[in-house]
Amino acid sequence: MFATPRIGALARRVRPTAASRTRLLPALPPIAALLPEGGLRRGTVVRCTGSGAPSLAMAVAAGPSAAGSWCGTVGLDELGVLAAAGYGLDLERLVVVRAAPAEWAVAASVLLDGVDLVVLAPPRHVRHAAAQTLAARARDRGAVVLVVGERPGFPAELELAVEAARWYGLAEGAGRLQSRRVTVVACGRGSAVRPVRQELWLPAATGKVAAA
Amino acid sequence: MTGRPDAGLPRLLLVECPGLEVPDGASRAGGDGETDGAGGDERLRRFGRVVEALSSVCPWVDAVRPGVCTLPIKGPTRYFGTEEAVLAQVTETVAAALDAVPAVAPGTPGGTSGARGASGHTSGTPGGTSGARGASGPTSGEAAGVRLGVAEGVFAAALAARAGLVVPVGETAGFLAPWPVDVLGDPELADVLVRLGLSTLGRFAAVPAADVLARFGASGVRGHRIARGLEGELPGYRVAGTGARLVAVLGRALALQDRQPGFWGGASAADERAGEVLVALQRRLGVEAVMVPVLEGGRGPADRCRLVPWSPPAAAREPKTARRRSPPEPPWPGRLPPPAPARVTAGAPPVEMADGAGAPVGVTARGLLTGAPVRLSVAGDRWTPVTAWSAPWPVEERWWSRARRRVARLQVLTADGTGWLLVTERGRWRVEAVYD
Repeated sequence: MFATPRIGALARRVRPTAASRTRLLPALPPIAALLPEGGLRRGTVVRCTGSGAPSLAMAVAAGPSAAGSWCGTVGLDELGVLAAAGYGLDLERLVVVRAAPAEWAVAASVLLDGVDLVVLAPPRHVRHAAAQTLAARARDRGAVVLVVGERPGFPAELELAVEAARWYGLAEGAGRLQSRRVTVVACGRGSAVRPVRQELWLPAATGKVAAA
Repeated sequence: MTGRPDAGLPRLLLVECPGLEVPDGASRAGGDGETDGAGGDERLRRFGRVVEALSSVCPWVDAVRPGVCTLPIKGPTRYFGTEEAVLAQVTETVAAALDAVPAVAPGTPGGTSGARGASGHTSGTPGGTSGARGASGPTSGEAAGVRLGVAEGVFAAALAARAGLVVPVGETAGFLAPWPVDVLGDPELADVLVRLGLSTLGRFAAVPAADVLARFGASGVRGHRIARGLEGELPGYRVAGTGARLVAVLGRALALQDRQPGFWGGASAADERAGEVLVALQRRLGVEAVMVPVLEGGRGPADRCRLVPWSPPAAAREPKTARRRSPPEPPWPGRLPPPAPARVTAGAPPVEMADGAGAPVGVTARGLLTGAPVRLSVAGDRWTPVTAWSAPWPVEERWWSRARRRVARLQVLTADGTGWLLVTERGRWRVEAVYD
């Protein structure tokens, strides 16, 4: 299913966006270290898994968002918008779509027409065909889909898995949650076939993502 | 928090066709449209014709539930000149659409008689809203039962339709104020409110938001936001997938069309492109399915950031940036320190927390925990060991002087590495947010 990027075709199809017409969406430096090309390749699906996957997805989305891309979420009705702002998402270009479970695919598909980045938490049992259609749509539009959670039915070019997570700052009856140290393993196809491991603060005490 | 912020609720014309409602059981049974009988299908088909016909007045008709649809009235008003002209047009359109199809066994317009004695007849205007004009419904044939109402947000527009009213721009809060609290559709909450003397939406709205969660729980917060005009729709009012079912029974796509070129003057190409799909999404899923964040002052994560329905930049007069940036930053004692939680739970699931002896952990009058929490269970799930917890911090200082109301937040870490933000409410713990 993984096709070499059809740059020529894409460039003709993709309408201009504020960010750029290049094939990569920018990533914040701590995230870029996990990405085989140092940025998010347009037209691909990236899966974020493990505990803290929603936070990781926000940290990944922060780069393009800060650079002017619109970001839409589907299935993340409980998104902590303050946390999203903390990670660096531009709230001016964030839209939270609350679709009924039966309508998530339609919502995501329509959204892909107008935004560079769709953060998607699909139902647990995604029909393979629906996932394929959506992935093809992303490829066609030159957008990036970030799938949050274990969704093996969803074809992804890259998986970012939080393997170990530990909160710091809270003790027995004292302190507060301050920062979380995580190990993220990036693994995928093509140039990403060799896993890359990265220690991150997700979030650091500032609310942002940082290399640990 | 006290000053009424720009709620951003869209001004809607709501059309209610009482005869075309599909009984609740049938409409809830699922999105496939095959569960109710032929009568239900026929009513849906007739309603579909109404929606289809209305899309000639305005391309953004939102089928909220069988028998009820809304359309944003601003755009058509620009087009037709005045709201009255839009109402006349809608009245005529609905009547024509209903007369064009032979009537089936008429459904009983049941259950929705106005709580204040407002009837479907448009002459019976209830008092209390001085400026409200009557909105006359269609007058011919079966269409006579159709009710129209105009106000900001679906909830207010539905109340306006009960009374057949056009609530003047900006006066929705005043219109809502005299309605009894049972219109919020939560008898338990209404009962408590009435006993406290908060018998109307207006009185309820005057309660400071910070006190509402502690006193009335999550359902109270929802109702309070609606009473204040911050949220526009009661949960459960919208029947998801109605639009899709209409398409299914009509056997053709609803001919909805774009008609406003140059709507997005001045926006960047990306903003313009995003705006187009957000309009498409609102048309498809409903206005309040497409939400954008607004930052506000407040203590908890839910108070500090709320989501409002997205509205096209041209509809919001002032530049978007003025509304959505620069959160007010007065000192909020008791505000949650950063980092913010990644997930703010919608339903405030209940939590049980026990100490080493198995006794429930509470908060003392002095603001201390009654014991060291050892395990925790969310919404009746299995117990998880607690590995760390904060000292409780008060949500509202002055309440600590009165021993009865102890309201506090607590951060807890469980053995699976999850961080929880809990809040007490009358001795009961609930999840407010998760550090996911």
